[in-house]
Amino acid sequence: MKELKKKIISVCKVIASDHQLLAGVIGLLFIFFIIIFAPLLVTDNPYHYGDDILFRVGQGGHILGTNHMGQDIYSMLIYGMRTSFKVAVISALISGILGVVIGGIAGFFGGKVDIIVSEIINVFMMLPTFFLILLIVALFGNSIYNVMVVIGITTWPSNAKLMRAEALTLKQRTFVKSAEAMGESKSQRLNKYIIPNGIFPVVSNTTMGMSNAILTEAGLSFLGLGDATIISWGQMIYTGKQYITTAWWISTYAGFAIIITVIIFYLLGDGLNHVLDPKYSKQGR
Amino acid sequence: MDRILELKDVCVTYSNKEKRVYAVKNVTLSLDMGDSLGIVGESGSGKSTLAMALLRLHDESSTILSGNADFMGRDLISIPQEEMNELRWKEISVVFQKAMNSLSPVHRIGAQVEDIYHVHEPKATSDQIKERMVELLKLVNLPERVYRLYPHELSGGMMQRVAIAISLLHSPKLIIFDEATTALDVVTQGQILNEVVQMEKTMNMTRIMITHDMSVVAASCNKVAVMYAGEILEMGMVTDVFKNPLHPYTKGLISSLPSLFGTNDSLHAIAGNLPDLSQEIIGCPYAPRCGNASEKCFSAKPKHVSFDNGRFVACWLYEGGGRDE
Amino acid sequence: MGKYIIKRTISGFITVILVFAMNFFLFKMAPGDPITTLMGTKATSKAMRHALEVKYGLDKPLIVQFISYLRTAAHGDLGISIIYNRPVADMIGEKVGATLLLCLTAAIIALVIGTAMGIHAARKEGGVYDVIASGTTYAFNSVPSFWLGLMLIIIFSSGLKWLPSYGMVDNRADYTGMAYVMDIIMHMILPTLTLTLILIPQYFRIAKSSVLQVTNEDFIMTFKAVGMNNKTIFNRYIFRNAILPTVTIFGISVAYLITGVTLIEIVFAWPGMGRLMMTAITQRDYPTLMGSYLIMAISVAVAMLLVDIVYALLDPRIRYE
Repeated sequence: MKELKKKIISVCKVIASDHQLLAGVIGLLFIFFIIIFAPLLVTDNPYHYGDDILFRVGQGGHILGTNHMGQDIYSMLIYGMRTSFKVAVISALISGILGVVIGGIAGFFGGKVDIIVSEIINVFMMLPTFFLILLIVALFGNSIYNVMVVIGITTWPSNAKLMRAEALTLKQRTFVKSAEAMGESKSQRLNKYIIPNGIFPVVSNTTMGMSNAILTEAGLSFLGLGDATIISWGQMIYTGKQYITTAWWISTYAGFAIIITVIIFYLLGDGLNHVLDPKYSKQGR
Repeated sequence: MDRILELKDVCVTYSNKEKRVYAVKNVTLSLDMGDSLGIVGESGSGKSTLAMALLRLHDESSTILSGNADFMGRDLISIPQEEMNELRWKEISVVFQKAMNSLSPVHRIGAQVEDIYHVHEPKATSDQIKERMVELLKLVNLPERVYRLYPHELSGGMMQRVAIAISLLHSPKLIIFDEATTALDVVTQGQILNEVVQMEKTMNMTRIMITHDMSVVAASCNKVAVMYAGEILEMGMVTDVFKNPLHPYTKGLISSLPSLFGTNDSLHAIAGNLPDLSQEIIGCPYAPRCGNASEKCFSAKPKHVSFDNGRFVACWLYEGGGRDE
Repeated sequence: MGKYIIKRTISGFITVILVFAMNFFLFKMAPGDPITTLMGTKATSKAMRHALEVKYGLDKPLIVQFISYLRTAAHGDLGISIIYNRPVADMIGEKVGATLLLCLTAAIIALVIGTAMGIHAARKEGGVYDVIASGTTYAFNSVPSFWLGLMLIIIFSSGLKWLPSYGMVDNRADYTGMAYVMDIIMHMILPTLTLTLILIPQYFRIAKSSVLQVTNEDFIMTFKAVGMNNKTIFNRYIFRNAILPTVTIFGISVAYLITGVTLIEIVFAWPGMGRLMMTAITQRDYPTLMGSYLIMAISVAVAMLLVDIVYALLDPRIRYE
C-alpha cells in the first residue's frame, strides 16, 4: 500500500513539474467530469426535438439557444464531448497499436520487411490522408465506427516511423544483445524490451493524434460525411452552416468546444513529450 | 621577458535563482611573451571556464567575474564588450575542442574566413584574405583547395588544423587552445602538436594549452599550472614540475600515467571525486582525497609558497617555504 | 547534385504510381459500381451487363484496367465524367487555377509571417511578445479551419458587410480588367485569411525552435570569439542555418494544404479542385474522382520534389550523400 502511495506521489510530482502537462492533466480531468456527469449537467435531453425552434441565446431557458430541430445547444455540447472523446481514443488506440507493432517489427527485424514497411510509411506521409479518409467513408459508409476505424488505419504511419526509429537504436543496446546471447527468442526480445522501452515517443505522438482525430471527424461531418445519428460537434457546425447569418450560435459554440478540447490534448501531448524525452526534461532521467 | 598576461585573484561564479557555483576561485598566475602554458586538470576543474571568462564569452547575465586579468595594460575582466571585441582575434584568439562544429555547415570555409577577417579589416579584398589563409594552411600542412570546401568534407584532424590556421589570421599575441586535440586520435594529436611547436619557433606566439592530458603538456609546453576544483594548486616550469612534483595532487596525476618502461601491473588512480562546487570550500579543495592531509588542510586555505623560476605551490606541506630543488 | 535530383524524381514517380494504385483499387473495392448505375436498378439482364462491361473494358483483369488507365492518362486523357459528360481533364483544368491561387497565396503569406514571428519570439525568448505569440498560435493550431471561415463570414460579411462571403467573382456584375482583378481580390481576402491563420502556427513553432537551437551551436561561439557583431552573426549564420527546417516543413505541409483548402473552398463556395472532388464523391462520379486524385497526388509529389531540391541547394551536406 505504501509502495502505491509513493508511486502516486512521484507521478504527481512529475506532472506538476511541467506547465503544459499540468494544464493538460487538469483539462483531462475536466473532460472526464463532463463525460461522466453529462446526464446531470444538461438542461434538456439533447436528442429531444423540442418546440422551441431557433431560439436565441438565453431565450426560453436555453443557455445557448436551440437549433432548427428544437434541440438545446448547450446540452448537445455536453453530450458531444462523449463522442469526441470516443473518436479520439479509439482512433488513437488503433493508430497507436498498429504503429507500434508494424514499426517495431520493421525496425527490429530489418531486412526486406523493413524496406517494404518504410516505403509504405513514406507513401502515406506524402498522401493527403484526409482525402483518403473522405473516399473511404464516402464509399464504405459513414457510421461513427467506420470513421473511427478509418482514421485509425490511415494515421498509423507516423507512429510506426517513431517506433521503428526507436527499435533501430534499441536493438543495438547492450541489454538487448545480452538477452539475445542468453537465448531469448526474437519475439520475446521484441515484446519484453524493444516495445516497452521504445513506446514513449509514440505515446505523446498518439496523444497529439487524438487532437487531429477530433479535427478530422469534425471536418468529415462538416462535409456531410459524418454520422448524422449521433451528436457531434462537427455535425453541429454542419447543420448550423445554413443558418450562419440568422442563427449563428448553432455553429459558433460547437467550434469553441472543439478548440478547447483539442488544446487540452495538445497540451497533454506536448507535456508528455517533455516529460518522457530525456533531452527535453529539465531534470534529466 | 615581457609580461603578457597577469591574473590576480580571478574568480568566476555561476549564479541562477536556485544556487551559485564557484567554478574558479582566486586564480593568480602570470605569463610572459613566448611562453606556452599548459593548464591541466580533471573535467570540471574549471580550466575551460577560466579561458571562456578571460575572453568574456560566457553568459553575462548569469556569471559573476571578479579579480584582475591584465593583458598588455588592459583588464580583460572589466573592459566593456565593445573594447573586448577589438581585442578578440586581433590580440587573443581561441581554438576550440569540437572543430568539426566550429564553423557553419552551410557556408564554404573560405566564405567564413572572409567574414571573420572582415570583422577587423573590413577593407581587405577577397584575394588578400585568400592569400593570407593559404599561407597559414601551408603552415598546418593543408592543401590550398581546402579554402573552397565545406566543413563536412574534411576529416576531424583537418578541421582542427583549419581552426588553428584561422586562429592565426591576425597574428594574435596570445592563442588559447581549449582542449583542442582532445577529440583527435593519438597519432593526429601528435602531428598537430609537432606542427604547433614548429610554428612557434618562427612566430612570436604565446600559447595557453588547456587540457586534461599531462602528456600533451609535457610534449608541447614550457610552463604548467595544475588546476583542481577551480583553484591553482601548483605552477612552474614543466621540467621542474614533472621531474619533481610538489603538490600531492600533481604527484598523483603524474604517477597515473602508465610508464613506457617495465611492466605495468596496475594503473594508479586517484580515489575520490571532485567536491561540490556549489559549496564554498573552506580549506584545501584536495584535502578529502589527499593522503597527506592534516587537520589544518581542512580548516584553512593553504597560502601560495613561492620558489625560484616562477614555481609556486598551494599546500600546507611546504609551509616552511623556500625549499630548493 | 544532378544525381540527387534524378534519384528523387524517380522515387517521387514511384510514389505517385503507388498512391494512385491504392486509390484505383480502393474504388474497385467499394460497394456500388458504374454498370449498375448505368443499367438502372430494374434491369437484370446478364447479357446486357456483360456487354456493358466489355464496352467499358471492365471485364479485363484489374491490373490491365489499371495500366490502360495510366496509359491514357499519360496522354492527357483522364476519361469522361459520368455525371457531366465532359472530359475530366477539362473540368480539372478550369478549377485548378482557382485552387492554386488560394493555396499558394496563403502558403507563402503564412510562411513569411509565421517565420518572422517565430524568429522574433526566439530572439526575445520568454518575453511578452514570445508568450503572447506562442499562446495565440497554440490556440489557432487547434481551430477547425472551416469553423474559422464561418466565424470570419459572420464578422466580416454579414456583420460588418465589408467583404463578400462566397464565390470567386461577383457573377452578376460584368467586370473586366482592373475591376475584375479587384473583384477577385475582394473575394479572396476571407478564404485566404482563414487558411493563412490556420497555417501560421506551424511555421511559428518550427522557426522559433530552430533559431533557438542554432543559437546554441558551437560555431556561433566561434563567431562570438572572433568579435563579430550580433547582427552579422544573426543575419548571415543563424538565419541561414535555421531556415532549413522551415523548408522541410513547407514540403510536408503541402499535403495538409490540399485538405485545408478543400474545407475552405466548401465554406466560401470557392470554385476550385476541392469542391470538384467533393461533388464527385457525393455523386459517385468515378472518372472525375480518379482524375482529380491523380492530379492531386502528382501535385504533392512535384511540390515535395521542388522542396527537396531547394533544401539541397541550401544545405550542402545533403548533396553529397
